[in-house]
Amino acid sequence: MSAPGIVVAGLRKRYGPTLALDGMSFSVRPGLVTGFLGPNGAGKSTTMRVILGLDAVEEGTALIDGRPYRSLRHPLTHVGSLLDAAALHPGRSGRNHLLWLAHSQGLAARRVDQVIEEVGLASAARRKAGGYSLGMRQRLGIAAALLGDPPIIMLDEPFNGMDPDGIIWMRGFLRSLAAQGRAVLVSSHLMSEVQDTADHLVVVGRGKAIADAGVAELIAAASGNRVALRTTAGAHAMKVLARAGATVAATGRDTIAVSGLPADRIVTVLNESAVPFSEVSAHRATLEDVYLDLTREAVEFRAATPTEVRR
Amino acid sequence: MRVALHAEWTKIRTVPSPLWLLVGTVAATVALSAGATSVVNCTASGCGGDTTKLSLMGVYIGQALVAILAVLIVSGEYGSGMIRTTLAAVPRRAIAFAAKAITLTGVVAVGGTVAVLGSVLAGRLVLPDLGDQALSLTNGPAMRAVVGTVLYLILIALLSLGIATAMRDSATSIGIVLGLLYIVPILVQTISDPYWQRLLQKIAPMSAGLAVQATTDLHSLPISPWAGLGVTAAWAIAALSVGGLLLRMRDA
Amino acid sequence: MTSTVTRHRPSPKAGRYGFLQVLHAEWTKFRTALGWVIGMMVAALMVVLFAVLAGVSSNQKGSSPVPIGPGGGPVTDSFYFVHQPLAGNGSISVSVSALKSSIPKGPGDLRPGIVPWAKAGLIIKQSTRQGSPYAAIMATGSHGVRMQDNYVNDTAGLPDPVSTASVRWLRLDRSGDTITGHASADGTHWTKVGTTRVSGLGPTAQVGLFVASPAAVGGGGTAGSVSTATFGDLRIQGGLAGSTWTGGQVGAESPSFAGYPESTSGSFTESNGRFTVTGAGDMAPAVRDSLPTGAHLREILTGTFAALIAVIVVGALFITAEYRNKMIHLTLAASPRRSRVLVAKAIVLWAVTFVAGSVGAICATPLGERLARRNGVYIFPVSSLTELRVALGTAALLATASVLALSVGAIFRHSAGAVTTVIVAIVLPYILIAIPFIPAGVSKGLATVTPVAAFAVQQTLVPYDHVASNYTPYYGYYPLAPWAGFAVLAGYALVSLAVATVLLNRRDA
Repeated sequence: MSAPGIVVAGLRKRYGPTLALDGMSFSVRPGLVTGFLGPNGAGKSTTMRVILGLDAVEEGTALIDGRPYRSLRHPLTHVGSLLDAAALHPGRSGRNHLLWLAHSQGLAARRVDQVIEEVGLASAARRKAGGYSLGMRQRLGIAAALLGDPPIIMLDEPFNGMDPDGIIWMRGFLRSLAAQGRAVLVSSHLMSEVQDTADHLVVVGRGKAIADAGVAELIAAASGNRVALRTTAGAHAMKVLARAGATVAATGRDTIAVSGLPADRIVTVLNESAVPFSEVSAHRATLEDVYLDLTREAVEFRAATPTEVRR
Repeated sequence: MRVALHAEWTKIRTVPSPLWLLVGTVAATVALSAGATSVVNCTASGCGGDTTKLSLMGVYIGQALVAILAVLIVSGEYGSGMIRTTLAAVPRRAIAFAAKAITLTGVVAVGGTVAVLGSVLAGRLVLPDLGDQALSLTNGPAMRAVVGTVLYLILIALLSLGIATAMRDSATSIGIVLGLLYIVPILVQTISDPYWQRLLQKIAPMSAGLAVQATTDLHSLPISPWAGLGVTAAWAIAALSVGGLLLRMRDA
Repeated sequence: MTSTVTRHRPSPKAGRYGFLQVLHAEWTKFRTALGWVIGMMVAALMVVLFAVLAGVSSNQKGSSPVPIGPGGGPVTDSFYFVHQPLAGNGSISVSVSALKSSIPKGPGDLRPGIVPWAKAGLIIKQSTRQGSPYAAIMATGSHGVRMQDNYVNDTAGLPDPVSTASVRWLRLDRSGDTITGHASADGTHWTKVGTTRVSGLGPTAQVGLFVASPAAVGGGGTAGSVSTATFGDLRIQGGLAGSTWTGGQVGAESPSFAGYPESTSGSFTESNGRFTVTGAGDMAPAVRDSLPTGAHLREILTGTFAALIAVIVVGALFITAEYRNKMIHLTLAASPRRSRVLVAKAIVLWAVTFVAGSVGAICATPLGERLARRNGVYIFPVSSLTELRVALGTAALLATASVLALSVGAIFRHSAGAVTTVIVAIVLPYILIAIPFIPAGVSKGLATVTPVAAFAVQQTLVPYDHVASNYTPYYGYYPLAPWAGFAVLAGYALVSLAVATVLLNRRDA
């Protein structure tokens, strides 16, 4: 089997005048939870639909274990996915919803009862799905994704509408799926939802991946060699540091961000000019900062263009 | 109420489908009317039937499109969940419902008038000049047929609105409306007992309502023109009442 | 849990039956959506309910019994008969020099006209009882000389209508059960028209002159006509000595006889060997519009229309509900070969509808027939094979219409439009056909090219070349043969299914 997991390469697609995907490329590897992050309309859902063979692209490929989705014989045993938890017939019970899905893959009915148990839906499984809460629908959707026991799981905004208990359950659940060796792709438009769960992040904006790296790597890159300086003589400090070749910016009433000079050199410069300071520390970016930095451009683009990209 | 009306008007105006359905209503009505008038054999003594009724025959199909328009106004909102927004904006449901009915009436009145006048015009162009039997809007019965047909279309729209509000699903509502309209005329053909035949024709929304199109042989009709339209109106009122009541009683 | 993720794979054998799995999934989908199952039950129930309604609402109690011919079918047997008994074998001949018909144009306004199947000639008949066996040779209004027997059989003889310039001599010979007919243009050179065996004439049959004049067909209706013929040179061999000619109307009271036009009646006069006979009626198989008290299976199965609407709604929803709920994403993710999904849906839907329709039609037919008969309605007889064809054909019609709705639903992806399109496409032509002043050509055209052609599967009546009638769909005579008409609907369904498949494959889900 070549390239296990999902490999997306150079996807390009437009909806009328709107370029929805503009060279989207990334990969999802087994054993890791990959966060798929980006503002609304950046192309996350479209990419997932392309991976599932639901939407066609003008260019590029999306491969599952090296094969296009449409060529898979029992696709749900390769990829389990949840695109929209509301996508079910309201008059059918949750169990029957899973049952037809199981039949389409040649799976036995007892597998249905197994996944219902796994997601904790046993008490409601025989009720009409139309009466489910959003959280119950999410669990039903997860059950559907697990049905074929696939090595790849792909979930679109699984935290949407979940209560705090549900979010904690979901995080643990995703971790355990990755621990079993599965490749897990989870999309979100909020960094806070995935930052403690994901091992790897793909950040998208304007239809392409603008970052594709491990979480630690991304933070290190975004932190750069910036140093945070706390001083009561801000103006003086900025003047001397700039003269020494650093780039400075005031970040608060008595804090300054300095880059271009290592911390020990900064201490020396300040001491030589007799500038008082109370703290010099290497700046450490939060994932939230990284995300906002990366996607700022994409968000601005969206705000300037009224056309809503189809999600 | 004015606010609710304005909102409904904006809703109907800002999506393309109602306009297309109205255009479709006009086109289908005129086309079927023209088709019907062009196939009859006319001789110097007449066309073997009521030419006014014949040239207004397009409503047989026009009413189906009007029914979809009316059904979609309500069940479209149930399908998308927008009904909750509507009722959040206008919490007095009777007013929200009335606003829908009034807006629909206005829209169908305009579309229906265009369709009916188009059919009359087509009839005049297609049918040979029959002298005093010619189609004319100046004679009383023909005028009654024309005005009555527009009113009939409005009543069918309101009937559909009521049924759609009660059923909340577009396909089921359309099925019920078209069933109510079309099944009785078909059933009547197979019933040999004249008492039952006339009874069914008197109480069915389509057979009774379209009596308003008759201009000749009025004494042989099962029901007089305006009374027939009254029957259709009774159906519409009944459907609106049930729909309105359910809208008030049920959770949105 | 272990790190292997291959515990719940379907067995490798399952892979070979990929399509069956899609079919199984679609069947599970269908049976677990309560609304659709109810819709199908409603469809079956409608067929039965309307049959009961048609049976209960008919009222023909007290009408005279319908005459039945030797073949078992309903017949018209009403004509003016100038007869005397003929014991054993014998022969009779006559000349016909005039046959003139009159058709009413309005109340009391009788005008001369041509009735193509007006008949004047010789007949040998078991008795004057309606429906009794006979053989006859006759001159007709515009079909020349014909020899007919037992209502349904017809053989052509000399062409051209009769007149004083073109007199026709006719002769009938009986030898046991064998009757031979001859015709001649001059009274000396005879040409054989036909020989036929008529059983049941008995030792003494009635022979003589007759005049019949069936209702004139026009403008979607009929009008009773009357005809008068002039005979001469009447010769009879083997008759009973001393017998005189008796005149009278056979079948004066009969549901299949419309009666004489206002202020006319049947009669005969004789002077110097010339007989002048006036008569009305016909000797022919009964057809739908000559038997107003009758009913046929299609009328009992009127509920098909109500059922049609129910199965169209379910058929359209079977796919459009998936689009509305966006469940189509899940369906296509589970079965990425999209054509299979649509074909599986079509098969499941067809089968379910067929079963529901069969149950409905098979229950409705005997029930409706029994109720109608109890109310004095005469049901046109059909063989049990035909009855089965009608029931299964009705089920197939419903099933195919629901597949058409499914396909249109897949094309539109919207239920309201799909439901309306299919209902209007099937029901509207039917309503147009039912308008009396729509010309027969248009109505037959509609029943040939629109999906309504499929209603031919409910057709049980047979048109006869020698009976002029309104053989229009309105009266239950479809231009296409039963399964050919069904094929028209099937064609629409298959083409729509093909278009839907192409679109489903091409479009983003």
